[in-house]
Amino acid sequence: MSGTGGADAGGTPGLSIFSKYDPLKQRVDVVNRIGVDPFNMTFDDIMGPTRGRIGNREIILAGTNNYLGLTYDEAARQAAKDAIDRHGTGTTGSRIANGTYVEHEQLERDLAEHLGKPSCIVFTTGYVTNLAAMAGLAGPNDVIFIDADAHACIIDGTRLAGTTTVRFRHNNPADLDKRLARQAIPEGGHALVVIEGLYSMFGDIAPIDEFVEVAHRHGAYLYVDEAHSYGVFGATGAGIAEEQGVLDQIDFYSGTFSKSLASVGGFCASRHPEFELLRKVMRPYMFTASAAPSNICAAQAALDAIKSRPELRTNIMARAAQLHDGLNRMGFDLAAPASPVIAIRRPNEAQAAMEWNWLLKEGVYVNLAVPPGTPQSSSLLRISVSAAHTEEDVNAILSRFRALKDQSGEILNEMMRKIAGG
Amino acid sequence: MPKDQQIFDKICELLKPYNVKNKPILRTSGIMSDLEVDSTAVFDLIMELEDHYDISVPMEVISDVKTVGELVLAIQELLQQ
Repeated sequence: MSGTGGADAGGTPGLSIFSKYDPLKQRVDVVNRIGVDPFNMTFDDIMGPTRGRIGNREIILAGTNNYLGLTYDEAARQAAKDAIDRHGTGTTGSRIANGTYVEHEQLERDLAEHLGKPSCIVFTTGYVTNLAAMAGLAGPNDVIFIDADAHACIIDGTRLAGTTTVRFRHNNPADLDKRLARQAIPEGGHALVVIEGLYSMFGDIAPIDEFVEVAHRHGAYLYVDEAHSYGVFGATGAGIAEEQGVLDQIDFYSGTFSKSLASVGGFCASRHPEFELLRKVMRPYMFTASAAPSNICAAQAALDAIKSRPELRTNIMARAAQLHDGLNRMGFDLAAPASPVIAIRRPNEAQAAMEWNWLLKEGVYVNLAVPPGTPQSSSLLRISVSAAHTEEDVNAILSRFRALKDQSGEILNEMMRKIAGG
Repeated sequence: MPKDQQIFDKICELLKPYNVKNKPILRTSGIMSDLEVDSTAVFDLIMELEDHYDISVPMEVISDVKTVGELVLAIQELLQQ
């Protein structure tokens, strides 16, 4: 066995630095026996927001979070190309050194204006955004309250902040109320409540308006991550907070460029002008390279589309309703009411992996989502709908799921044979 | 103030639905390593304990807890505060 060098150097005899991952390896081995590794697959080509290719097979993409389908938008592509011609391929510097260009600042101003906030800061990725802002906001005497289904970047944000963190029941303002009352806040400290607008695994929507009331009644600040809902919900695309009429009351509003904004990067806006000070303290902002000009300019073009093309939101909601209704009629166990994220609960990880492979073979790419990355230890086939999907695309996806249901017996038998090594 | 054994019994009761392989629950049992409870489910279990004892168990307090016995001790300490 290789990799036991650590043992020779004083580690536990017989164990390597990788031994702690043995249980994970067993799970990975089962999934690999079933077929393609769902977490390490490559398309031979991506041809558009809803089409990819593996070998000579065209695949309908239904798991890319490309909600508005703007990655191939003519204006966004042209803006990215022009940015490369003007400013080159990368900034080679952080925002506090040479990495802030006029385009970064312009995008910050335009996002701030769209959200009606006096301050907005752009980051290199969405993940980094929550890490940076949460760790910058919460100090040693502050307490962070997070939703039980919080995304990994929010959990990691609490770890980087290093503050007391309390978890409350998912999408439950009454439970938050109870825990805010129960948890003592140290002298000089504050409570920071962190929720999401649309939860990425189940696709369920937060009652942000109710959370605003509870948080502010306790004197807490409310931080809302609208990574999956910015651009998709609200009359102007400003998210679920806008749709629920409480956008102006959100203390901190974060989002990503890698979904509706069709690029790579992230942002956090605040109704508190003092938020600007955090540019001088947020380590993931200060000590990493800034977003490339092409990414910033593509996001800027996508932002313009979000504001000027409400039909994109009409399209995505119509396709989401069509797909959700179709799957529901087939009797699939859906995790939440219709939204652009539709999660189908499966009985276990192996079956979900088998069905994921079968769907891919049949020309549909969805996401496989398994514990501990999912709520309630669920194994999910997760679909994200795009405004670029046509009615025919959704019918094609539905037909594959119908066939999956009709052939479930054979699919399960094949799975058992593969797991057994046959 | 509940006694040590009462806390252990309560934890065993709350662990039941997460202990899918129905393994014996001992104080030395690793919650994740032996009982195979995943990290999300551990946090769900903690919320049940918080509500039962009306205490707050911050996430960082339980990050060092590996066994059922260590969880009993952590709850005892919080109840004494």
